[in-house]
Amino acid sequence: MRPALGPGDYVLVNRWAYRHRAPAVGDLVVLRNPEREGQFLCKRIAGVTDSGAYVVLGDNAAESRDSRQFGPVPRGFIVGKVWRSAGVGPRTPARPESPS
Amino acid sequence: MPLLHSFLRAIDRASPAPVAHAHCDIPCGIYDPHHAQLAAHTVIRMVDLLGQLEHPGTDATLPQKKEFHSKIARYTATKEQHAEVYKSEVRILWADYFKPEHLQQFPQLHDLVWKALKSGSKARQEVNLQASEDMLTHANEIAEIFWKTKGVSTTKAKAPYPTGRETVYPKLG
Repeated sequence: MRPALGPGDYVLVNRWAYRHRAPAVGDLVVLRNPEREGQFLCKRIAGVTDSGAYVVLGDNAAESRDSRQFGPVPRGFIVGKVWRSAGVGPRTPARPESPS
Repeated sequence: MPLLHSFLRAIDRASPAPVAHAHCDIPCGIYDPHHAQLAAHTVIRMVDLLGQLEHPGTDATLPQKKEFHSKIARYTATKEQHAEVYKSEVRILWADYFKPEHLQQFPQLHDLVWKALKSGSKARQEVNLQASEDMLTHANEIAEIFWKTKGVSTTKAKAPYPTGRETVYPKLG
């Protein structure tokens, strides 16, 4: 998830973020790994399919395993929205700046 | 935010939080069934060596008894260790390398992996030549499929080890 997150960063997850609204494109979320039970993943929402499933992608596309491999994930897999993250050094914000 | 990180690390140490992975694994893309094949050869060899051991007899000296028991312990430990390496390697190929499209192409893969893991467990538990040979047979079958998914043809040859069993090798270069 570079550059938003690095190895060892802590993320605080708001589990209630999607109680009254749906995950939006661009949100950094923690989800249950559809390929490995009991494991959590950190990805960004990239789109919503017609059937309401979420396409999640890693920011570091070259090294990420995400919806390109395991397909869109149902909403039930999404645990919550990343509210704050903390790394050991300064880092770019959780939401990338809009392209110029 | 080093301060927040330090604060959260302190909390994490007191009460560990679940880990969220950004990658499923490091996608290094480096896989090879050879590890599993090699481990199967080792298990076969250990079963052979255990079979060749001769009991030193009731009138054996203490050093002779010690040597005998030491060899049994060493061969058994190595057999079990490599049976576990084999199972680990097969699981890595299964869980990390093979993709749904491979399974469509080779629908026997799940059953083959299951048999491979079962033979690994049996060979680990017992001194069982058939189970250890089954390990190699299944590893060879997995290797054939693996190399087919890479578009690499394979050849069968007798392994250049004391075990000498037929082994599947990729035809590279």
